[in-house]
Amino acid sequence: MSFLIFAILFWAVAFWMNATIAARWSETGWARYFVPALFGVTLLVLWEGIVRGFAVPQVILPAPSQIAMRFAASTGVLWVDFRQTILKGALSGYVMGCAAAFVMAVLVDRSAFLERGLMPVGNFLAALPIVGIAPIFVMWFGFDWQSKAAVVIVTVFFPVLVNMVAGLKATDPLQRDLMRTYSASYLQTLIKMRLPAALPFLFNGLKIATTLALIGAIVAEFFGSPTRGMGFRISTAVGQLDMALVWSEITVAALAGTGFYGLIALAEKVLTFWHPSQRG
Amino acid sequence: MKNWMMGAALAALATASPAFAADVTLQLKWVTQAQFAGYYVAKDKGFYEDEGIDVDILPGGPDISPTQVMAGGGADVTVDWMPSALAAREKGLPLVNIAQPFKSSGMMLTCLKESGIKSPEDFKGKTLGVWFGGNEYPFLSWMSTLGIPTDGSPEGVTVLKQGFNVDPLLQKQASCISTMTYNEYWQIIEAGISPDDLVTFKYEDEGVATLEDGLYVMQDKLEDPDFKAKMVKFVRASMKGWKWAEENPDEAAEIVLDNDMTGAQTEEHQKRMMEEVAKLTAGSNGALDPADYQRTVKVLMNGGSDPVITKEPEGAYTLEITDEALK
Repeated sequence: MSFLIFAILFWAVAFWMNATIAARWSETGWARYFVPALFGVTLLVLWEGIVRGFAVPQVILPAPSQIAMRFAASTGVLWVDFRQTILKGALSGYVMGCAAAFVMAVLVDRSAFLERGLMPVGNFLAALPIVGIAPIFVMWFGFDWQSKAAVVIVTVFFPVLVNMVAGLKATDPLQRDLMRTYSASYLQTLIKMRLPAALPFLFNGLKIATTLALIGAIVAEFFGSPTRGMGFRISTAVGQLDMALVWSEITVAALAGTGFYGLIALAEKVLTFWHPSQRG
Repeated sequence: MKNWMMGAALAALATASPAFAADVTLQLKWVTQAQFAGYYVAKDKGFYEDEGIDVDILPGGPDISPTQVMAGGGADVTVDWMPSALAAREKGLPLVNIAQPFKSSGMMLTCLKESGIKSPEDFKGKTLGVWFGGNEYPFLSWMSTLGIPTDGSPEGVTVLKQGFNVDPLLQKQASCISTMTYNEYWQIIEAGISPDDLVTFKYEDEGVATLEDGLYVMQDKLEDPDFKAKMVKFVRASMKGWKWAEENPDEAAEIVLDNDMTGAQTEEHQKRMMEEVAKLTAGSNGALDPADYQRTVKVLMNGGSDPVITKEPEGAYTLEITDEALK
């Protein structure tokens, strides 16, 4: 019970601290990072206190300290899984899927014929449930990361395509007329004006696709995998009642997802510095 | 407060919560099929009712781990394999075997003849399909007994996580896959592969069989005399159901089909399964034979560098319930 009381006290003190800091020093640099960090720490302390205070069995919910210890003890396994699922499955699928969507968007934009024919197919792909296609892809592409990459390609393709197609329509007629008066060819217009104008839209799609890629790669592993990978580990560790390991994998997935998204957001900041949304 | 926490966690865990409170909730290890005919027969034929108990049978499935449902308090009693129950016990989930309707193991590896596998020695360098979720333990014990590493090295075997179908063998993605004598083996046959093209290795014949489909409850509940009395009634009626199913396999299969809400099972497959399951239950009156238990423990401790259980379990079974039930 003392754990619980400590956790509640900690929460009360942290609450007061954050409220005070936010009121007084909200404009200073350190407070910007300190306040959310303390909030996160408080959540963990509360979790620890509640799990220990109420003696919640490890099988239902392990304490953060248990998860941290398991994480530290199994970094080797976590790295192998991370490489298998994120680097091989998700990233390769992400690159292929986004590139394919980009090329198709340009083609669709160029010809109305293709737009009418291909957009419905893209729509159709978007509606396919992962749980339906994953077993089929395992059959086609084998148990290893290739089948996971295929699932990721299908899941990221559509959001990138739709955003990119919208982006290519983002220039107004006046701008296009100006390029015509310069006697710019289609390609020159595309590269110098329309693609840069489409970048904010493209990045929108790319950012959505990061999380989809991770989810796709992990879930696809539930339907057949070699004996490594995050999805494999999560589904088997549950059967072995090794919940701390499951949570460690979830931690890795969350960190990887945040990092991945952050990288894309950073690239966007650098490449679309001219856009109004990047001021500030 | 603690109960409320457990309740919340359980709601998240249990896929199906009973709509009304039954006296006994039974969590099956797998989907509704003849493997569990005894329980469905006992319910349908009113054997449970005769004992004055109301039993709720929850089907399992590929993503349902019986041990986890028990940990969450989602069921009073579960059908589980001993390796997974003992491993859970070592992890701090005190499951206790109260009855053992299955005498023999139905587990085997089924290999394509064309893979050139004639004896377990030939597994080296091959790809084998294995079930996980607590069902990998018998396989891992067997491989350590043979001294074959499961790391995918040329001297060892490459392990695939096998889903709930026999596709890896049909697609030739694996040389061998895990099968049960009463289920997956026949799925391969039904897919059009002749028994002559297959080689099977039964765990029973290899001397690495572990006990399957026993009934397990949580240890702390056994301290309650009311719960014990309920379990005695439950085991007695269930065994009556099992013996009835052995004698009337076709009718038992029909009862199973009536209870299959998914409509996924076929009559032919269930009747065959019932015949095969009857062979496994035939040697048991429900009471666990301590010699079988010892053999299972020995196989599991034999795991070499990576044993399934590291120390001799204590109090992992009780004969009290069956002694009382089978008087």
